[in-house]
Amino acid sequence: MPRLLDIYRDNIRDWFPEMLSACLGTLKLSLFAFIVASALGLIVALLRISSRRSPRWLAISFIEVMRGTPALVILYIVYFVPPQVGLSWLTFSSFTAAVAGLALQGGAILAEVFRSGIEALHAGQREAALTLGMTPAKTMRYILLPQAMRVVLPPVGNYAIGLLKDTSVCALIAAPELMLRAKDLASSSFEPMAVFCLAALFYFFMSYPLSLAVRYMEYRLGRHG
Amino acid sequence: MDFWTVMVARFPYFMSLLLKGAVMTVTVAVGALALALVLGLLIALFRMSPSRIVSGFAYVYTEFLRGTPALAQLFVIYFGLPDIGIELKPVEAAIIGLGINGSAYLSEVYRAGIQAIHRGQVEAALSLGMTPLGSMRDIVLPQAIRIMLPPITNFSITLLKDTALVSVVAVPEIMFYARNLVTETFQSMHVYLLAAAIYLAMTIPMSRLVAYLERTRRAWS
Repeated sequence: MPRLLDIYRDNIRDWFPEMLSACLGTLKLSLFAFIVASALGLIVALLRISSRRSPRWLAISFIEVMRGTPALVILYIVYFVPPQVGLSWLTFSSFTAAVAGLALQGGAILAEVFRSGIEALHAGQREAALTLGMTPAKTMRYILLPQAMRVVLPPVGNYAIGLLKDTSVCALIAAPELMLRAKDLASSSFEPMAVFCLAALFYFFMSYPLSLAVRYMEYRLGRHG
Repeated sequence: MDFWTVMVARFPYFMSLLLKGAVMTVTVAVGALALALVLGLLIALFRMSPSRIVSGFAYVYTEFLRGTPALAQLFVIYFGLPDIGIELKPVEAAIIGLGINGSAYLSEVYRAGIQAIHRGQVEAALSLGMTPLGSMRDIVLPQAIRIMLPPITNFSITLLKDTALVSVVAVPEIMFYARNLVTETFQSMHVYLLAAAIYLAMTIPMSRLVAYLERTRRAWS
Protein backbone atom coordinates (compact mmCIF):
# COMPACT_ATOMS: atom_id res chain seq x y z
CA MET A 1 0.00 0.00 0.00
CA PRO A 2 2.67 2.61 0.87
CA ARG A 3 4.40 1.62 -2.38
CA LEU A 4 1.21 2.40 -4.28
CA LEU A 5 1.12 5.88 -2.72
CA ASP A 6 4.75 6.44 -3.71
CA ILE A 7 3.90 5.54 -7.30
CA TYR A 8 1.04 8.01 -7.31
CA ARG A 9 3.21 10.76 -5.80
CA ASP A 10 5.81 10.25 -8.51
CA ASN A 11 3.47 9.91 -11.49
CA ILE A 12 0.23 11.69 -10.78
CA ARG A 13 1.39 14.87 -12.53
CA ASP A 14 1.78 12.93 -15.78
CA TRP A 15 -1.16 10.58 -15.44
CA PHE A 16 -3.85 12.90 -14.18
CA PRO A 17 -4.04 15.26 -17.20
CA GLU A 18 -3.70 12.32 -19.62
CA MET A 19 -6.59 10.47 -18.03
CA LEU A 20 -8.68 13.58 -17.67
CA SER A 21 -8.45 14.23 -21.40
CA ALA A 22 -9.24 10.55 -22.06
CA CYS A 23 -12.35 10.98 -19.88
CA LEU A 24 -13.52 13.57 -22.38
CA GLY A 25 -13.27 10.86 -25.04
CA THR A 26 -15.34 8.53 -22.86
CA LEU A 27 -17.97 11.22 -22.26
CA LYS A 28 -18.09 12.16 -25.94
CA LEU A 29 -18.48 8.51 -26.94
CA SER A 30 -21.21 7.99 -24.32
CA LEU A 31 -23.09 11.11 -25.39
CA PHE A 32 -23.04 10.31 -29.11
CA ALA A 33 -24.02 6.68 -28.51
CA PHE A 34 -26.79 7.82 -26.14
CA ILE A 35 -28.30 10.20 -28.68
CA VAL A 36 -28.24 7.68 -31.52
CA ALA A 37 -29.52 4.90 -29.23
CA SER A 38 -32.43 7.07 -28.05
CA ALA A 39 -33.52 7.88 -31.59
CA LEU A 40 -33.14 4.27 -32.69
CA GLY A 41 -34.87 3.01 -29.55
CA LEU A 42 -37.87 5.26 -30.14
CA ILE A 43 -38.24 4.06 -33.73
CA VAL A 44 -37.93 0.40 -32.74
CA ALA A 45 -40.39 0.88 -29.85
CA LEU A 46 -42.99 2.37 -32.23
CA LEU A 47 -42.47 -0.53 -34.65
CA ARG A 48 -42.73 -2.94 -31.72
CA ILE A 49 -46.19 -1.68 -30.68
CA SER A 50 -47.43 -1.48 -34.26
CA SER A 51 -50.69 -3.33 -34.90
CA ARG A 52 -49.25 -4.74 -38.13
CA ARG A 53 -47.39 -7.99 -37.92
CA SER A 54 -44.29 -7.44 -40.09
CA PRO A 55 -42.94 -4.28 -38.40
CA ARG A 56 -43.65 -5.86 -35.04
CA TRP A 57 -41.63 -8.97 -35.86
CA LEU A 58 -38.83 -6.91 -37.35
CA ALA A 59 -38.63 -4.98 -34.07
CA ILE A 60 -38.80 -8.11 -31.91
CA SER A 61 -35.99 -9.81 -33.86
CA PHE A 62 -33.83 -6.70 -33.68
CA ILE A 63 -34.37 -6.41 -29.93
CA GLU A 64 -33.72 -10.10 -29.21
CA VAL A 65 -30.57 -10.27 -31.34
CA MET A 66 -29.04 -7.03 -30.09
CA ARG A 67 -29.83 -7.67 -26.44
CA GLY A 68 -28.70 -11.27 -26.55
CA THR A 69 -25.28 -10.63 -28.09
CA PRO A 70 -22.33 -9.28 -26.09
CA ALA A 71 -21.41 -5.67 -26.90
CA LEU A 72 -17.92 -6.87 -27.79
CA VAL A 73 -19.24 -9.12 -30.59
CA ILE A 74 -21.36 -6.30 -32.03
CA LEU A 75 -18.38 -3.94 -31.92
CA TYR A 76 -16.14 -6.48 -33.65
CA ILE A 77 -18.72 -7.06 -36.39
CA VAL A 78 -19.25 -3.34 -36.98
CA TYR A 79 -15.56 -2.50 -36.92
CA PHE A 80 -13.74 -5.47 -38.47
CA VAL A 81 -16.18 -7.05 -40.92
CA PRO A 82 -16.99 -4.27 -43.45
CA PRO A 83 -13.36 -3.55 -44.46
CA GLN A 84 -12.63 -7.25 -44.78
CA VAL A 85 -15.56 -7.97 -47.08
CA GLY A 86 -14.89 -4.86 -49.15
CA LEU A 87 -17.78 -2.66 -48.06
CA SER A 88 -15.78 0.55 -48.12
CA TRP A 89 -18.82 2.78 -47.53
CA LEU A 90 -19.48 0.94 -44.27
CA THR A 91 -15.90 1.14 -43.08
CA PHE A 92 -15.80 3.31 -40.00
CA SER A 93 -13.15 4.90 -37.84
CA SER A 94 -12.86 3.22 -34.45
CA PHE A 95 -14.78 6.08 -32.82
CA THR A 96 -17.69 5.92 -35.29
CA ALA A 97 -17.76 2.12 -35.08
CA ALA A 98 -17.87 2.37 -31.29
CA VAL A 99 -20.79 4.81 -31.44
CA ALA A 100 -22.61 2.61 -33.95
CA GLY A 101 -22.00 -0.63 -32.05
CA LEU A 102 -23.05 0.76 -28.68
CA ALA A 103 -26.06 2.50 -30.23
CA LEU A 104 -27.27 -0.72 -31.90
CA GLN A 105 -27.33 -2.49 -28.56
CA GLY A 106 -28.63 0.58 -26.74
CA GLY A 107 -31.42 1.01 -29.28
CA ALA A 108 -32.69 -2.47 -28.41
CA ILE A 109 -32.47 -1.84 -24.66
CA LEU A 110 -34.18 1.56 -24.89
CA ALA A 111 -36.87 0.24 -27.25
CA GLU A 112 -38.05 -2.10 -24.48
CA VAL A 113 -37.85 0.73 -21.93
CA PHE A 114 -39.90 3.08 -24.12
CA ARG A 115 -42.42 0.37 -24.91
CA SER A 116 -43.01 -0.46 -21.26
CA GLY A 117 -43.39 3.28 -20.57
CA ILE A 118 -46.00 3.70 -23.29
CA GLU A 119 -47.84 0.52 -22.32
CA ALA A 120 -47.89 1.54 -18.66
CA LEU A 121 -50.23 4.43 -19.52
CA HIS A 122 -53.91 3.87 -19.06
CA ALA A 123 -55.62 2.81 -22.31
CA GLY A 124 -58.20 5.54 -21.72
CA GLN A 125 -55.59 8.19 -22.53
CA ARG A 126 -55.24 6.93 -26.06
CA GLU A 127 -58.95 6.27 -26.51
CA ALA A 128 -59.87 9.75 -25.29
CA ALA A 129 -57.40 11.41 -27.66
CA LEU A 130 -58.65 9.39 -30.62
CA THR A 131 -62.26 10.14 -29.70
CA LEU A 132 -61.45 13.85 -29.67
CA GLY A 133 -60.42 13.43 -33.30
CA MET A 134 -56.64 13.39 -32.93
CA THR A 135 -54.79 11.25 -35.43
CA PRO A 136 -52.87 8.21 -34.05
CA ALA A 137 -49.59 10.03 -34.79
CA LYS A 138 -50.71 13.15 -32.91
CA THR A 139 -52.00 11.03 -30.03
CA MET A 140 -48.58 9.46 -29.75
CA ARG A 141 -46.73 12.77 -30.04
CA TYR A 142 -48.83 15.00 -27.75
CA ILE A 143 -50.57 12.60 -25.36
CA LEU A 144 -48.70 9.34 -24.91
CA LEU A 145 -44.99 10.17 -25.31
CA PRO A 146 -44.91 13.19 -22.97
CA GLN A 147 -46.49 11.13 -20.20
CA ALA A 148 -44.35 8.08 -20.90
CA MET A 149 -41.17 10.18 -20.75
CA ARG A 150 -41.71 10.84 -17.05
CA VAL A 151 -42.04 7.15 -16.24
CA VAL A 152 -39.07 6.03 -18.32
CA LEU A 153 -36.65 8.63 -16.95
CA PRO A 154 -35.15 6.36 -14.23
CA PRO A 155 -34.62 3.29 -16.47
CA VAL A 156 -33.18 5.54 -19.18
CA GLY A 157 -30.82 6.96 -16.56
CA ASN A 158 -29.83 3.45 -15.53
CA TYR A 159 -29.13 2.66 -19.16
CA ALA A 160 -26.93 5.77 -19.41
CA ILE A 161 -24.88 4.57 -16.43
CA GLY A 162 -24.47 1.15 -18.02
CA LEU A 163 -23.50 2.79 -21.30
CA LEU A 164 -20.84 4.94 -19.64
CA LYS A 165 -19.25 1.81 -18.23
CA ASP A 166 -19.69 -0.15 -21.46
CA THR A 167 -17.67 2.42 -23.41
CA SER A 168 -14.64 0.81 -21.72
CA VAL A 169 -15.16 -2.20 -24.01
CA CYS A 170 -14.51 0.07 -27.00
CA ALA A 171 -10.85 0.13 -25.95
CA LEU A 172 -10.69 -3.30 -27.58
CA ILE A 173 -11.34 -1.76 -30.99
CA ALA A 174 -8.93 1.05 -30.09
CA ALA A 175 -11.54 3.78 -29.79
CA PRO A 176 -10.07 6.86 -28.08
CA GLU A 177 -11.37 6.66 -24.51
CA LEU A 178 -10.26 6.20 -20.91
CA MET A 179 -9.60 2.45 -20.82
CA LEU A 180 -7.42 2.59 -23.93
CA ARG A 181 -5.35 5.41 -22.42
CA ALA A 182 -5.08 3.44 -19.19
CA LYS A 183 -3.83 0.38 -21.07
CA ASP A 184 -1.20 2.53 -22.82
CA LEU A 185 -0.10 4.16 -19.57
CA ALA A 186 0.02 0.80 -17.81
CA SER A 187 2.29 -0.71 -20.42
CA SER A 188 4.56 2.32 -20.69
CA SER A 189 4.94 2.78 -16.92
CA PHE A 190 4.93 -0.92 -15.92
CA GLU A 191 2.58 0.02 -13.06
CA PRO A 192 -0.71 -1.67 -14.04
CA MET A 193 -2.09 -1.79 -10.50
CA ALA A 194 -1.73 1.93 -9.93
CA VAL A 195 -2.92 2.93 -13.39
CA PHE A 196 -5.99 0.71 -13.55
CA CYS A 197 -7.07 1.64 -10.02
CA LEU A 198 -6.83 5.28 -10.99
CA ALA A 199 -8.84 4.62 -14.16
CA ALA A 200 -11.52 2.86 -12.09
CA LEU A 201 -11.64 5.91 -9.82
CA PHE A 202 -12.20 8.18 -12.83
CA TYR A 203 -15.07 5.97 -14.01
CA PHE A 204 -16.54 6.04 -10.53
CA PHE A 205 -16.51 9.82 -10.38
CA MET A 206 -18.32 9.96 -13.72
CA SER A 207 -20.97 7.33 -12.95
CA TYR A 208 -21.69 7.96 -9.27
CA PRO A 209 -23.31 11.40 -9.73
CA LEU A 210 -25.47 9.87 -12.46
CA SER A 211 -26.57 7.05 -10.19
CA LEU A 212 -27.43 9.51 -7.41
CA ALA A 213 -29.51 11.47 -9.93
CA VAL A 214 -31.35 8.31 -10.99
CA ARG A 215 -32.08 7.41 -7.38
CA TYR A 216 -33.45 10.92 -6.80
CA MET A 217 -35.73 10.57 -9.84
CA GLU A 218 -36.95 7.17 -8.62
CA TYR A 219 -37.68 8.68 -5.23
CA ARG A 220 -39.62 11.59 -6.73
CA LEU A 221 -41.60 9.29 -9.02
CA GLY A 222 -42.33 6.98 -6.10
CA ARG A 223 -43.79 9.88 -4.14
CA HIS A 224 -45.85 11.57 -6.83
CA GLY A 225 -46.09 8.67 -9.28
CA MET B 1 -16.21 -16.80 -53.01
CA ASP B 2 -19.71 -16.16 -51.92
CA PHE B 3 -20.84 -16.16 -48.31
CA TRP B 4 -22.61 -19.51 -48.18
CA THR B 5 -19.93 -21.52 -50.00
CA VAL B 6 -17.38 -20.45 -47.42
CA MET B 7 -19.83 -20.96 -44.60
CA VAL B 8 -20.66 -24.53 -45.62
CA ALA B 9 -17.02 -25.43 -46.29
CA ARG B 10 -15.64 -23.99 -43.07
CA PHE B 11 -18.59 -24.57 -40.74
CA PRO B 12 -17.33 -27.78 -39.04
CA TYR B 13 -13.88 -26.30 -38.41
CA PHE B 14 -15.17 -22.99 -37.07
CA MET B 15 -17.78 -24.63 -34.90
CA SER B 16 -15.40 -27.22 -33.43
CA LEU B 17 -13.26 -24.44 -31.97
CA LEU B 18 -16.05 -22.01 -31.10
CA LEU B 19 -17.98 -24.69 -29.23
CA LYS B 20 -14.84 -25.59 -27.32
CA GLY B 21 -14.79 -21.92 -26.35
CA ALA B 22 -18.47 -22.07 -25.42
CA VAL B 23 -17.72 -24.74 -22.83
CA MET B 24 -15.20 -22.37 -21.25
CA THR B 25 -17.70 -19.48 -21.48
CA VAL B 26 -20.26 -21.51 -19.55
CA THR B 27 -17.63 -22.63 -17.02
CA VAL B 28 -16.59 -19.04 -16.31
CA ALA B 29 -20.21 -17.87 -16.17
CA VAL B 30 -21.26 -20.64 -13.77
CA GLY B 31 -18.21 -20.13 -11.56
CA ALA B 32 -18.74 -16.37 -11.43
CA LEU B 33 -22.46 -16.84 -10.74
CA ALA B 34 -21.76 -19.17 -7.81
CA LEU B 35 -19.26 -16.72 -6.33
CA ALA B 36 -21.59 -13.76 -6.90
CA LEU B 37 -24.56 -15.55 -5.29
CA VAL B 38 -22.62 -16.34 -2.10
CA LEU B 39 -20.68 -13.10 -1.82
CA GLY B 40 -23.74 -11.06 -2.79
CA LEU B 41 -25.82 -12.52 0.05
CA LEU B 42 -23.04 -11.76 2.51
CA ILE B 43 -22.81 -8.15 1.31
CA ALA B 44 -26.60 -7.77 1.43
CA LEU B 45 -26.65 -8.93 5.05
CA PHE B 46 -23.76 -6.56 5.87
CA ARG B 47 -25.67 -3.74 4.21
CA MET B 48 -28.69 -4.33 6.44
CA SER B 49 -26.60 -4.68 9.56
CA PRO B 50 -27.39 -2.30 12.44
CA SER B 51 -23.67 -1.50 12.78
CA ARG B 52 -22.87 1.61 10.77
CA ILE B 53 -19.31 0.49 10.06
CA VAL B 54 -20.44 -2.83 8.60
CA SER B 55 -23.26 -1.34 6.53
CA GLY B 56 -21.02 1.55 5.46
CA PHE B 57 -18.43 -0.91 4.19
CA ALA B 58 -21.10 -2.77 2.23
CA TYR B 59 -22.37 0.53 0.79
CA VAL B 60 -18.93 1.60 -0.43
CA TYR B 61 -18.29 -1.90 -1.78
CA THR B 62 -21.48 -2.01 -3.86
CA GLU B 63 -21.31 1.59 -5.04
CA PHE B 64 -17.71 1.37 -6.14
CA LEU B 65 -18.04 -1.97 -7.89
CA ARG B 66 -21.27 -0.96 -9.61
CA GLY B 67 -19.81 2.40 -10.59
CA THR B 68 -16.76 1.04 -12.40
CA PRO B 69 -16.59 -1.08 -15.57
CA ALA B 70 -16.10 -4.83 -15.22
CA LEU B 71 -13.21 -4.51 -17.67
CA ALA B 72 -11.34 -2.14 -15.34
CA GLN B 73 -11.88 -4.53 -12.42
CA LEU B 74 -10.66 -7.44 -14.53
CA PHE B 75 -7.51 -5.52 -15.49
CA VAL B 76 -6.79 -4.66 -11.85
CA ILE B 77 -7.16 -8.29 -10.84
CA TYR B 78 -5.25 -9.85 -13.71
CA PHE B 79 -2.57 -7.27 -14.50
CA GLY B 80 -2.50 -5.36 -11.21
CA LEU B 81 -2.48 -8.01 -8.49
CA PRO B 82 0.87 -9.53 -9.58
CA ASP B 83 2.39 -6.16 -8.49
CA ILE B 84 1.54 -7.05 -4.91
CA GLY B 85 2.54 -10.69 -5.30
CA ILE B 86 -0.79 -12.33 -6.16
CA GLU B 87 -0.54 -14.19 -9.45
CA LEU B 88 -3.79 -15.67 -10.74
CA LYS B 89 -4.35 -17.92 -13.72
CA PRO B 90 -6.55 -16.34 -16.43
CA VAL B 91 -9.59 -18.48 -15.59
CA GLU B 92 -9.25 -17.77 -11.87
CA ALA B 93 -8.92 -14.04 -12.51
CA ALA B 94 -11.97 -14.15 -14.79
CA ILE B 95 -14.18 -15.98 -12.30
CA ILE B 96 -13.05 -13.83 -9.37
CA GLY B 97 -13.36 -10.59 -11.37
CA LEU B 98 -16.82 -11.26 -12.77
CA GLY B 99 -17.92 -12.85 -9.48
CA ILE B 100 -16.94 -9.84 -7.40
CA ASN B 101 -18.49 -7.50 -9.95
CA GLY B 102 -21.70 -9.55 -9.86
CA SER B 103 -21.80 -9.76 -6.06
CA ALA B 104 -22.29 -5.99 -5.88
CA TYR B 105 -25.20 -6.20 -8.26
CA LEU B 106 -26.78 -9.26 -6.63
CA SER B 107 -26.48 -7.78 -3.14
CA GLU B 108 -28.93 -5.08 -4.27
CA VAL B 109 -31.24 -7.76 -5.69
CA TYR B 110 -31.13 -9.68 -2.40
CA ARG B 111 -31.73 -6.53 -0.41
CA ALA B 112 -34.74 -5.53 -2.50
CA GLY B 113 -36.13 -9.07 -2.21
CA ILE B 114 -35.63 -9.26 1.55
CA GLN B 115 -37.08 -5.81 2.15
CA ALA B 116 -40.14 -6.69 0.08
CA ILE B 117 -41.10 -9.28 2.73
CA HIS B 118 -43.46 -7.74 5.23
CA ARG B 119 -41.89 -6.84 8.59
CA GLY B 120 -44.59 -8.77 10.38
CA GLN B 121 -43.04 -12.00 9.12
CA VAL B 122 -39.78 -11.34 10.97
CA GLU B 123 -41.58 -10.03 14.04
CA ALA B 124 -43.77 -13.11 14.18
CA ALA B 125 -40.77 -15.42 13.78
CA LEU B 126 -38.81 -13.60 16.51
CA SER B 127 -41.74 -13.60 18.94
CA LEU B 128 -42.09 -17.34 18.37
CA GLY B 129 -38.57 -17.60 19.77
CA MET B 130 -36.61 -18.04 16.52
CA THR B 131 -33.15 -16.54 16.37
CA PRO B 132 -32.57 -13.63 13.93
CA LEU B 133 -30.41 -15.94 11.82
CA GLY B 134 -33.01 -18.72 11.86
CA SER B 135 -35.84 -16.37 10.89
CA MET B 136 -33.76 -15.01 8.01
CA ARG B 137 -32.92 -18.51 6.80
CA ASP B 138 -36.25 -20.27 7.34
CA ILE B 139 -38.82 -17.48 6.99
CA VAL B 140 -37.57 -14.51 4.98
CA LEU B 141 -35.20 -15.98 2.38
CA PRO B 142 -37.53 -18.77 1.13
CA GLN B 143 -40.21 -16.16 0.42
CA ALA B 144 -37.79 -13.61 -0.99
CA ILE B 145 -36.35 -16.11 -3.46
CA ARG B 146 -39.61 -16.08 -5.36
CA ILE B 147 -39.27 -12.32 -5.86
CA MET B 148 -35.56 -12.51 -6.64
CA LEU B 149 -35.66 -15.27 -9.24
CA PRO B 150 -36.42 -13.09 -12.32
CA PRO B 151 -33.72 -10.45 -11.58
CA ILE B 152 -31.20 -13.19 -10.77
CA THR B 153 -31.90 -14.88 -14.10
CA ASN B 154 -31.61 -11.50 -15.82
CA PHE B 155 -28.27 -11.04 -14.13
CA SER B 156 -27.16 -14.46 -15.39
CA ILE B 157 -27.87 -13.34 -18.96
CA THR B 158 -25.78 -10.19 -18.48
CA LEU B 159 -23.05 -12.25 -16.86
CA LEU B 160 -22.99 -14.70 -19.75
CA LYS B 161 -22.54 -11.80 -22.17
CA ASP B 162 -19.91 -10.18 -19.96
CA THR B 163 -17.76 -13.31 -20.17
CA ALA B 164 -16.85 -12.09 -23.67
CA LEU B 165 -14.63 -9.55 -21.88
CA VAL B 166 -12.43 -12.19 -20.29
CA SER B 167 -10.99 -13.08 -23.69
CA VAL B 168 -8.70 -10.07 -23.14
CA VAL B 169 -7.04 -11.78 -20.18
CA ALA B 170 -6.44 -14.82 -22.43
CA VAL B 171 -9.21 -17.10 -21.17
CA PRO B 172 -9.85 -19.51 -24.07
CA GLU B 173 -13.59 -18.82 -24.45
CA ILE B 174 -15.74 -18.06 -27.50
CA MET B 175 -14.31 -14.63 -28.36
CA PHE B 176 -10.76 -15.80 -27.78
CA TYR B 177 -11.15 -18.60 -30.33
CA ALA B 178 -13.07 -16.27 -32.64
CA ARG B 179 -10.23 -13.74 -32.68
CA ASN B 180 -7.68 -16.48 -33.34
CA LEU B 181 -9.80 -17.90 -36.16
CA VAL B 182 -10.09 -14.48 -37.78
CA THR B 183 -6.33 -13.98 -37.64
CA GLU B 184 -5.87 -17.42 -39.16
CA THR B 185 -8.53 -17.42 -41.90
CA PHE B 186 -9.50 -13.72 -42.42
CA GLN B 187 -13.16 -14.77 -42.48
CA SER B 188 -14.23 -12.21 -39.91
CA MET B 189 -17.87 -12.08 -40.95
CA HIS B 190 -18.43 -15.84 -40.77
CA VAL B 191 -16.57 -16.28 -37.52
CA TYR B 192 -18.14 -13.37 -35.63
CA LEU B 193 -21.64 -14.16 -36.90
CA LEU B 194 -21.24 -17.74 -35.71
CA ALA B 195 -19.96 -16.48 -32.37
CA ALA B 196 -22.99 -14.20 -32.09
CA ALA B 197 -25.26 -17.14 -32.96
CA ILE B 198 -23.75 -19.25 -30.17
CA TYR B 199 -24.31 -16.46 -27.63
CA LEU B 200 -27.88 -16.01 -28.86
CA ALA B 201 -28.55 -19.75 -28.59
CA MET B 202 -27.75 -19.41 -24.90
CA THR B 203 -29.25 -15.99 -24.06
CA ILE B 204 -32.57 -16.15 -25.90
CA PRO B 205 -33.86 -19.25 -24.03
CA MET B 206 -32.78 -17.60 -20.79
CA SER B 207 -34.68 -14.40 -21.58
CA ARG B 208 -37.75 -16.51 -22.44
CA LEU B 209 -37.35 -18.05 -18.98
CA VAL B 210 -37.29 -14.60 -17.36
CA ALA B 211 -40.48 -13.64 -19.21
CA TYR B 212 -42.10 -16.86 -18.00
CA LEU B 213 -40.99 -16.33 -14.39
CA GLU B 214 -42.34 -12.80 -14.42
CA ARG B 215 -45.67 -13.99 -15.79
CA THR B 216 -46.08 -16.68 -13.14
CA ARG B 217 -45.10 -14.26 -10.40
CA ARG B 218 -47.77 -11.84 -11.51
CA ALA B 219 -50.26 -14.71 -11.49
CA TRP B 220 -49.48 -15.38 -7.82
CA SER B 221 -49.81 -11.87 -6.52
